[in-house]
Amino acid sequence: MRTGTHSDYMRTLKLDSDELASRRRFFGIEEADLDRLRALRPLAERHMASIIEGFYFLLLEHPRTREFLNDPELVERLKGAQKRYFLGLFDGRCDLAYVEDRLRVGFIHERVGLPLKWYLGAYNRYLELTGKALREELGPEATTAAQLSLQKLVFFDTALAVDTYVAAQIDTVARHRAAVEELSTPVIRVFDRVLLLPLVGTIDSARAQSIMETVLRRVSDQEAKVMIIDIAGVAVVDTQVADHLLRATAAVRLLGAATILTGISPQVARTVVELGVDISSMHTRSRLADGIELALSLVGRKINVETRE
Amino acid sequence: MSASGIPVIRIRNTLLSAIQGDLSDQVAEAFQQHLLTRIEATGASGVLLDISALEIVDTYVARVLVDTAKMARLMGARTVLVGMRPEVAATLINMGNGLDGLETALNVDDGLDHLGTLRSG
Amino acid sequence: MGVLASYSIEIASEDGVVRVRNQVREVALRAGFDAFAVAAISTAASELTRNAWVHGGGGAARVEEVEEAGRRGVRVDFRDAGPGIQDVERALRGGFSTRRSLGLGLSGTRRLVDEFSIDSTVGVGTHIVIAKWARLGARA
Repeated sequence: MRTGTHSDYMRTLKLDSDELASRRRFFGIEEADLDRLRALRPLAERHMASIIEGFYFLLLEHPRTREFLNDPELVERLKGAQKRYFLGLFDGRCDLAYVEDRLRVGFIHERVGLPLKWYLGAYNRYLELTGKALREELGPEATTAAQLSLQKLVFFDTALAVDTYVAAQIDTVARHRAAVEELSTPVIRVFDRVLLLPLVGTIDSARAQSIMETVLRRVSDQEAKVMIIDIAGVAVVDTQVADHLLRATAAVRLLGAATILTGISPQVARTVVELGVDISSMHTRSRLADGIELALSLVGRKINVETRE
Repeated sequence: MSASGIPVIRIRNTLLSAIQGDLSDQVAEAFQQHLLTRIEATGASGVLLDISALEIVDTYVARVLVDTAKMARLMGARTVLVGMRPEVAATLINMGNGLDGLETALNVDDGLDHLGTLRSG
Repeated sequence: MGVLASYSIEIASEDGVVRVRNQVREVALRAGFDAFAVAAISTAASELTRNAWVHGGGGAARVEEVEEAGRRGVRVDFRDAGPGIQDVERALRGGFSTRRSLGLGLSGTRRLVDEFSIDSTVGVGTHIVIAKWARLGARA
């Protein structure tokens, strides 16, 4: 699921007037460049149709980019968008509205899954075709000047596109990680104010920290009185893992809830004792079923066998 | 109300105080003083300290809380700390500070229940 | 590493503790830290500011919002011209205190942050720099 929009990226990339000014300075975009491009707008309009056609010729000729353009209706719509984009280079402005417009284009391309290399390659073709049109109408000196101004703006655009792609990738990684974390810490509500966390797999420090945070959040949100952590499925319980579990237990206690550790094997019992942990205040059980029973007695309930069908 | 600006309310034989906002060292100490005076004046047997509004509990504030509970205990009042935020708990534990000996509860309701159990026990 | 914003705060009274940690909190929230990370870095700043005031006789803190490889972070730099720490290694191991709670302050604080460096010279003073990074993909 995608939640971001191009305006989110405006914020993420901190594209405010300060950042804009700093980028413009760095790319050397001056008013003279923008004036020069604005003066070329009539020329751009005259050549626009053939440049766009040439541009799409490249895209349709190449098998990998053709895959993105399999729908003739889509191509027509894209050509419309492309014309606006192309003429935007000759508007003679480079303000926040322009940046937002460029960011939206980068965002859309990333969203349809167009790899950055095709984006950049296509842009290169764009410059090539535009250069040809300039040479046809202008003298060599004016062509060079126009191309330099255009190049500045094109690189400025490209930087925005790359930033958008990178920000989107970071988003994707974060979403995947959140999904994995959620799966690795499946807190279940087994009864009113009693939660159960069955832990499975390997626990390293990063996961231990995330487990502690999730447990604390859930205890607090659901006002749980008891958190049962079942460690029967944890591959290795060494002193470090035991230490992490005890920290989580201590943190849950600070919130005012109790932790019951279940699934304690003989080997785990040995490790905990060897750690020299004060177990007088700890609730532990070998079997999960016994842990649940203990949890219910801690919240003042018990399983009523008679009401069961 | 006292120099600390933190109100201490009496409900039957329990004193309830919700610690608000930014707890500076002076405020923490003034509050401790005020609370002990109120225990003396009311003969309260229980104290509930609601810290749900506290976003930061550093070592200093933690020690003031633990010390206050100990002092209250010496004066005959049991203290229960209620409503600690998850991020505050994680931070304290990561610093190696488990507020040893301090009773805790999730909210004021649970805290009152807990004090009831302590009194009858 | 780019510095996006920088704030200098004098630690000339106990009020410095509240001022520094509030500034750190504000910057951490802006950098997209979650509640746990905000509490960790703010508490670490609180500890170190108090150390600079109580043990170092005051000094200065610089709170910075930083950026590196696309991630945001908070860096705080503490300087005092106090007596310095004789045995830094030992102070960092914890369970060691010259005055009230110094040992726990340093070793505990180190566990709250991603980066921690200390430079202390007896008779000259102590310089501590801490940094913490927003988790990948955090939104400012």
